[in-house]
Amino acid sequence: MTGAAATPRTPPGDPATAADDARDELPDDPRVGDFDLGEVPSARSIRRFTAQAARSRAGASIGSLLTDVYTTVTSVVISVLIVLGVVQQLGDSLPPAPPVHAPGGLSLPMLVALVLLAAAGALLSTAGRLGPVGAEGAQAAWWLPLPVDRRALLRPAALRVPVVAALAGAAVVVVLEAGLLTGGGAGLVRAGLLGALGAAVVVLGAAVAQTRGVPRRRIALAGDLALVAAPVLAALVVLAGRTPASLPSPSWPVVVGAAVLASLLAVVVDRRLGVLPGRTLREGGSVATQAVGAVVSLDSRELGRALSGGVAASARRRSSRLRTARGPATALVTADLVVLRRSVRHLVQVVVAAGLPVLATVVPQLASPVGVLVAVLLGGWMASSASAEGARWAEVAPVLDRLLPLGDRTVRRLRMVVPGVVALAWSLVVFAAVGRWAGATLDWLLLAVVAAPVWAAAAVRAAYRPAPRWDKPLVATPAGALPTGVLQVIARGPDLVAFCLLPLWVAIGLGTVTTWMVTAQVWLSVIAVMVASSTAEKGWMERLLEEQDQRKGGAA
Amino acid sequence: MAPVVRARDLQVGYGAAPVCAPVSFDLGPGEAVALVGANGSGKSTVLKTVLGLLEPVAGGVEVLGSPVDEREVQFRREVSSVLDDDAYFPALTVSEHLYLTARGHGVLGAQDEVADLLEEFGLADHARATPVSLSSGQRRRLLLAAGFARPRSLLVLDEPEQRLDQRMRARLADRLRAERDAGGAVLIATHDPDLVAAVCTRAVHVADDESRVLAPAEAADRIARVAL
Repeated sequence: MTGAAATPRTPPGDPATAADDARDELPDDPRVGDFDLGEVPSARSIRRFTAQAARSRAGASIGSLLTDVYTTVTSVVISVLIVLGVVQQLGDSLPPAPPVHAPGGLSLPMLVALVLLAAAGALLSTAGRLGPVGAEGAQAAWWLPLPVDRRALLRPAALRVPVVAALAGAAVVVVLEAGLLTGGGAGLVRAGLLGALGAAVVVLGAAVAQTRGVPRRRIALAGDLALVAAPVLAALVVLAGRTPASLPSPSWPVVVGAAVLASLLAVVVDRRLGVLPGRTLREGGSVATQAVGAVVSLDSRELGRALSGGVAASARRRSSRLRTARGPATALVTADLVVLRRSVRHLVQVVVAAGLPVLATVVPQLASPVGVLVAVLLGGWMASSASAEGARWAEVAPVLDRLLPLGDRTVRRLRMVVPGVVALAWSLVVFAAVGRWAGATLDWLLLAVVAAPVWAAAAVRAAYRPAPRWDKPLVATPAGALPTGVLQVIARGPDLVAFCLLPLWVAIGLGTVTTWMVTAQVWLSVIAVMVASSTAEKGWMERLLEEQDQRKGGAA
Repeated sequence: MAPVVRARDLQVGYGAAPVCAPVSFDLGPGEAVALVGANGSGKSTVLKTVLGLLEPVAGGVEVLGSPVDEREVQFRREVSSVLDDDAYFPALTVSEHLYLTARGHGVLGAQDEVADLLEEFGLADHARATPVSLSSGQRRRLLLAAGFARPRSLLVLDEPEQRLDQRMRARLADRLRAERDAGGAVLIATHDPDLVAAVCTRAVHVADDESRVLAPAEAADRIARVAL
């Protein structure tokens, strides 16, 4: 059965290394398999073989491919133009910058710079969690064991994330530049290019770190630190009272320099693709597959799980003994607290979420009812959803909610405790700033405290929402077909924020807090908690398990 | 004769945390070693370390006289492995997966080879089916067939008996015995006493406290008695 080897072994007697000597002691060829061997195909032909087979099976033609490309490009361009229009309108409605910034204020250009820093941090964190170079499940199982050049095998995968990041970077910078800084013309083009190249540099930098063996968790941590640095820097600028009135417009040499840097990094990454270990590629690919699946199915919870799970420690120095647990209820709350404490990403998210409304109140052009309302809405949702990690895990593994002798509704209410505490802390910070902006700080703090349960209820309601329903009818709109079943599901959670925080929104809109607003908010908070405690509609995993049980019962 | 695999005080685990006691064993050409032990004892972790998918926590392992490095093309030429990867290209058929493996290793006349493997592993009727339409047992057979669709000096299998019926288990045992007799080296993690008795020349009991080398009969007996 012994066949010819594809490549000659080390020549007998070669004294190069001890390892070679050891090989020489082996039989002439210990290979098994009665094969006639020729040349190993190129990595490119392996990729082509897989792609061609997939195309032939999918029945894809050049025409359908072009249609897909056309549809995608058109959708992206329309989306960017819509966002650009909205932001530009917002920019036009902003009051002009004051000639001299008052102490304790922040200029809009400085805010834009900080937003870009935060975006770069978020990008680096995401790139670290994704790999950024990876091989998805089938590629890892069927491509990586082949004796072909891994560089060529991985090249398209290595390019994908930087290209997507560059497109996103360009879009973000163009929207900010054109919308908030009212830039245009050649300056806008340069800014867009710099945004694209900057984003690509961040991702390629992460890829270089990956090829140097830096653990993905550390890359993600570096991104998280950059993200959290943005609000900290903002606070320092405000405290120092020195904020730049404008940002320097990027010149062509700067753009060219960024392009050279991006190209150099791309070359370094390409040259080092072959040194990436299979385990790193498998891990990155697995996270990317899960994340892409979550994005395609519009499931933000699954996306969060993919990005968190990818860098979770496989072992911890010590296990929590849940010392504060004195019974089932406190055990559940303590477990939720441990889950939150161990997720750096979510803690960073809470800090950044607190920074958003605070910044809105200190930037003269944004410190309007609309600006503050939008910032409170975004920040509140970010903070509360970050704190409901325990509920999200329980939704995908319903057994976690059944482990303790507690009723379904009680479990839901207890799941609101940690988000409630986080929402309370967030509210105290944010509404102290809102109070400073609008006056009567104590009234605002009172309103914020009674509104905190709504944020918690909304987060838990969103965590337990069922999977998007794609089987419901589509509604035609000028922007394309809208799947009503999906929207209905995605709205669970945000609906409570919209309706049960009405007194808060009215108060921000009017810039004042009245007694009836506080009273109404108390009642609406109670309603929100009751709605979120409802277990009438079960989570998708729970329904799936029940259906399985029923099938098994039927078969028996 | 130098061993194909040489593990010395090899401690395996995730990060810096070992999952079992250090293991030491040699596996030469024409030999088959079984890793036996309870669920979670670290058998698969040892296999992944031998395959270079995990770094050793301590100690060392060499394959064909060199430290393990799965990034080396030569390593991938010599080592064929079947782990519990239930991942497939959704658009490729069963036979196309096998062609990918065979042609990717430079096998000429892969058509006959693939046809034989499809027949041997009971997949001939499903050659044009995509893996998603197969049962879990059939997908397992596809993975095993792929392990034999290419030349190799070392064959590493993680619980190959899983999801196979008795007839296929017996056929697999025959195939592994033939592999061993042809001078190949086989390293398997298994809970199947019959497979150990029929195929293996030695066994390593992987455990928390101490890992020991056992004779195949003793290992098979231990698996049967204490349900390892």
